[in-house]
Amino acid sequence: MWKELRTLKPLLAKHWWRYTLGLLFLITIDYAQTEIPQFIKRIVDTILASGDETLLQSYLIFMLLTAAGIAIGRFMWRFFIHGASRRIERDLRARLFEHYMVLPMKAFQDNPTGELMARATNDMQAIRMLTGMAIVAFIDGFFMSTIVLVRMFTENPSVALRVILPLPIVTFIIIFFGSRIGKRFKKIQEIYGRMSTLVQEVLQGIRVVKAFVKEDFFKNRFEKENDAYRTANMSLVLLFGFFFPLINFIAGITMLILFIAGGNAILENSMSAGTLTAMIAYLEMLLWPMIGAGFTVNTIQRGLASLKRINEILQIPQEEKTRNGAGAVTIPQRGNFVFNNLSFTYPGANKPALDSVTFTISCGTTFGILGRIGSGKSTLLKLMTRILEPEQNQILYGNVDITTIDIDQLRKLFGYVPQESFLFSDSIKNNILFANPDLSDDELQNIIQIAGLEPDLALFPQGIDTIVGEKGLTLSGGQKQRVSIARALAVNPEILVFDDALSAVDTETEEKILKALCMLRKGKTNILVSNRVSTLQIADCIGVFSNGELIQLGTPEELLNQEGFFAEIAHMQSLSKEKDSYYE
Amino acid sequence: MSDFFDSDEIVKNYDSAIIKRIFSYTKNHKVLLLLIVICLLISTIAELAMPIISQKIIDDVLIVSYVSVGNNSMLVKEISDEFPKIKLLSIHDTYFIRKKDFMLFSNALQKKIESEVTVFKGEYYIASVNQDSLKIVKNYNAELILDSNLLAIQLDKLKTFSKSDLKIIRSNDYKKLNLYGVLFFIAVCAALFGTFFQTWSTSLTGQYVMKSIRMQLFDKTIHQSLNFLTRQPVGRLVTRLTSDVETINEFFTDVVVAFIKDLSVMIGVINVLINMSLRLGLVAILSIPPVLIITSIARKKARDAFRKQRKILSKLNAYIAEHISGISIVKIFSRQNHVVKIFKEINHDLMKANLGEMYVMATFRPVIEFFSTTSIAVILWYGSGLYKSGFVSLGTLVAFVNLVRMFYSPLQDISEKFTILQSAMAGGERVFKLLDVQENIPDTGNKTLQNVQGKIEFKNVWFSYKENEWVLKDISFSVQPGHAVAIVGYTGAGKTTITSLLPRFWDIQKGEILLDDIPIREFSLKALRSYIRPVMQDVFLFSGTIAENIDLGLGLSREKIVEAATIVHADEFIQKLPQKYDTVLGEGASNLSAGQRQLLSFARVVAHNPEIIILDEATSSIDSETEHLVQLGLEALMENRTTILIAHRLSTIQHADVILVLSEGRLIEKGTHNDLIQLKGVYYNLYKLQFQNQGI
Repeated sequence: MWKELRTLKPLLAKHWWRYTLGLLFLITIDYAQTEIPQFIKRIVDTILASGDETLLQSYLIFMLLTAAGIAIGRFMWRFFIHGASRRIERDLRARLFEHYMVLPMKAFQDNPTGELMARATNDMQAIRMLTGMAIVAFIDGFFMSTIVLVRMFTENPSVALRVILPLPIVTFIIIFFGSRIGKRFKKIQEIYGRMSTLVQEVLQGIRVVKAFVKEDFFKNRFEKENDAYRTANMSLVLLFGFFFPLINFIAGITMLILFIAGGNAILENSMSAGTLTAMIAYLEMLLWPMIGAGFTVNTIQRGLASLKRINEILQIPQEEKTRNGAGAVTIPQRGNFVFNNLSFTYPGANKPALDSVTFTISCGTTFGILGRIGSGKSTLLKLMTRILEPEQNQILYGNVDITTIDIDQLRKLFGYVPQESFLFSDSIKNNILFANPDLSDDELQNIIQIAGLEPDLALFPQGIDTIVGEKGLTLSGGQKQRVSIARALAVNPEILVFDDALSAVDTETEEKILKALCMLRKGKTNILVSNRVSTLQIADCIGVFSNGELIQLGTPEELLNQEGFFAEIAHMQSLSKEKDSYYE
Repeated sequence: MSDFFDSDEIVKNYDSAIIKRIFSYTKNHKVLLLLIVICLLISTIAELAMPIISQKIIDDVLIVSYVSVGNNSMLVKEISDEFPKIKLLSIHDTYFIRKKDFMLFSNALQKKIESEVTVFKGEYYIASVNQDSLKIVKNYNAELILDSNLLAIQLDKLKTFSKSDLKIIRSNDYKKLNLYGVLFFIAVCAALFGTFFQTWSTSLTGQYVMKSIRMQLFDKTIHQSLNFLTRQPVGRLVTRLTSDVETINEFFTDVVVAFIKDLSVMIGVINVLINMSLRLGLVAILSIPPVLIITSIARKKARDAFRKQRKILSKLNAYIAEHISGISIVKIFSRQNHVVKIFKEINHDLMKANLGEMYVMATFRPVIEFFSTTSIAVILWYGSGLYKSGFVSLGTLVAFVNLVRMFYSPLQDISEKFTILQSAMAGGERVFKLLDVQENIPDTGNKTLQNVQGKIEFKNVWFSYKENEWVLKDISFSVQPGHAVAIVGYTGAGKTTITSLLPRFWDIQKGEILLDDIPIREFSLKALRSYIRPVMQDVFLFSGTIAENIDLGLGLSREKIVEAATIVHADEFIQKLPQKYDTVLGEGASNLSAGQRQLLSFARVVAHNPEIIILDEATSSIDSETEHLVQLGLEALMENRTTILIAHRLSTIQHADVILVLSEGRLIEKGTHNDLIQLKGVYYNLYKLQFQNQGI
């Protein structure tokens, strides 16, 4: 348990003065609160005895002043302690997110997005409760109950002893219910999840549902889930419905004991009526610490569990800047990419994704890659950018093993246009400037033109400031690809990578883009992955991949005149190109 | 980039139409509603009874004193006439009344009594006479009056008695104390069970209401036309059916009953207060308006703060989710620092919004608490005056303190309840809006066929998705029973649309479609769709087992399912799966290849044994091994069935009895493969360009 708290220690320490002040206020008002029944007692006894008005007035004024002080104190401890816990939440979340950004890609495969999200949201909430309410409830409960108990025992020890006996039961009830409620709640969540999945599926597959006239079938299934949901909910109600009434019940029983025991004491002349009224008020004050104690236990349990989950992620080591943390080698300004017997097997796979591939991408040339799905071409690109970590000395850049280059420096060489365009929900402009916010407006205009975005932007109401919907939903596939091309061009990279990035763009636009690109990228390295032979025509050299092996390598002309995969594809595509031209 | 993440209102103001509509769903649960009312009554009464009992304990048991009103029978008669409720005890012809009753008398009457009473002045305690009590009283040598039943002893003297003696003298009080104790215990138990069953019955009602709304909405939604459904993002509809309905439930369980309960407790408290003492009750009532004002201010502030917080929270969540899914982009451009910087800004904004909400709560609660204490102070101060002039008893005063606390406790979380109310209003509005949409295909026909021949005829069919953008223009063709017709054409020619018209996913605007010479509108939708089964290009499989996906609730035996799969050659790959037919398909059936999914959808169609099939052939690449199987499956599927094929593979097309060539929504060529090749028209070109290299 203490081990997990390590993460919180510096954060708690940072806000020590907030906690100190907050707890001071808390303890002070705890004390002040126990003064109120004293006032009531004195007032009642004064009323019963003499009815001395000036005495009464002064009591009342002091009571009101105390109450005002309590109100201010309550605000103050919330201000300081909640202030601290909200800040800790913020800082820990920021730290976690920062860590997400430097985690190796493998961590994202091991932990689904939902899990990582939960840690940054729900778990953070539990941490906030742990560093806020749990501390308050603990300190408050401890001091309040101590002060109240002292007061009650001073008033009348024998009555006090009998009255407080059932109170610890409250704490046990809360601890007992807490874990069980948690379990049943989880069950509800599970069924709720099933229910929404069902709805989602039915709506996504609505054509099948309608075509097969399965409306009633799915309605029945939905009804069954609804019934299960109700049953699960009601089983929680069975616990939850008893929870607060039971606490009130025990509070009522202690009150009853107070009346019987206190009543006896008054009948025996050993206690005053005023004391009884004070004891009533104290009893109410004792109830909250007992509830608080139970909640504290639950909150701490939950908070620690969340902290553990967060720690698990924080403990995953960052993506290594260089292999084995060795000192980074200065990155060569320019250079050839040499693939030296490159092999790679995904963990758990029985067949290598790349098998002893050897070739060179010369500096300043355009290299084309052709291959079917699963041929290993994407793996190759991932290894080059160290999204996947290659073995030592299998990939060299300017004669330097890329695993010895600082990873950020290596990646800054590249402008990457991925196969599936991923845009952030931000304006088109910000998406283009994602990697290079300092781009001048002239350069931006130039890039937009090269990426063939100009006619699209004219269509959008806000032009370049149009917000891209979540995951780029408001743009067409081709538009998204062109924005991500512009994004890659914006960094003016040493090496530009097109991972089948023109697939959603029509041939005419493609041709235009490629022409403009050739002009712009003269003297720089380009890597072009495509299934279109026409696209690959502009390459200086083409590598053809199949089943993880490099099966053909040569200039487009060489490959066209060679019997093999490339020529076959070229033949097929030239025919369909005719079809296109026919249709125009 | 403010609120496209969360354009839906989160909170909405009170709307009685929505409330009424929500309540209309409780109509079928009258017994539960009755139970709720009974439990509400029991728990409210029990809660109010507790302070009343404690008042009785103090006034009737703990602090009891009597004063003498003398022996003037005229005066005694006057008193009993004026205050018939007052109990007069006579001891040896001298009358005694409770001091608290005496205090209620007018000044004139009090003076009159005081002048009458000459012998037994001061406060007395009255006990019953028996051997033990007589003995004790004598021991203390106290001045007393007694007859055979009762004895009166001076209160001051009583205070000098020993504990054991007091027990005997005040034995009646001990008995009463125990009696009240039992009553109190009953009240505590009643509160326990009353509150529990109240929670239970409201939750159950809420669950039933939620289910009714969900079922109604589900039924309504799945019967809406595809035209409507394709316009709606699936995610939004799912939210309506799940979380929006959930807010209505919260409204039930957390708001309605709590409101009624709180309100009845508050009204009850006021009632009891006024009954105990009119003046003190009025004082308590006076504190209501300022509290209401504060509450309404806090409510508004809390709502604004809550809205702001929710908005930033969803922005933050979207940001995290997006950058986790887009992590490879962040990494490849090595923009971690920049992304983290922006995140920190949003994160900080969230903290500020959180703190803003906290400040509202941190101000509101202590202020309400302070009001509660102030009311108590005012009551004590005012009450002390009343006590001195005899208008209230100590027990009343103590009960008041408790009752005032009870009065204020519901106010503590009233603003939270308002927030729930408001989000339920917003949720309810969205749910009912969706429920009121009427966009289904009119199911007006009632014809069914015993024996479907499978003759299909399109007569001058015109169709458009959007007004005046005709997708199909004047299409006419007919298919003889058992024949196969292949539709070919470029993308966008309207091929796929034809498949949606026959089962009436969309209704045509002009012309007529006939099945066995009967217009399809004259069939009931259910019947029509059971004769025709389309096989879609992208196969949709539901999560569940393979068998369940073939069967889709038909309730077929395992043999029949296997038979269906075997006919279309799906059995071969299914047998190779670890759990065979019980293999659970993952989300989107990602554990199957495209070809396998095709085969599974063929099996599904065979299991449903339709007379007519519409087949939209998959264009997606399938590995050559499965491709062969798909081809075989297809042939099996088409056997003895009227088939409409949207074909991409030459081999499939060549097997068709008739080929229709569509271009820009018009039927331009019609005939067999050989006819059309000889025609040297569009089909010929298509054939040459598109199909030649597939190899025949």
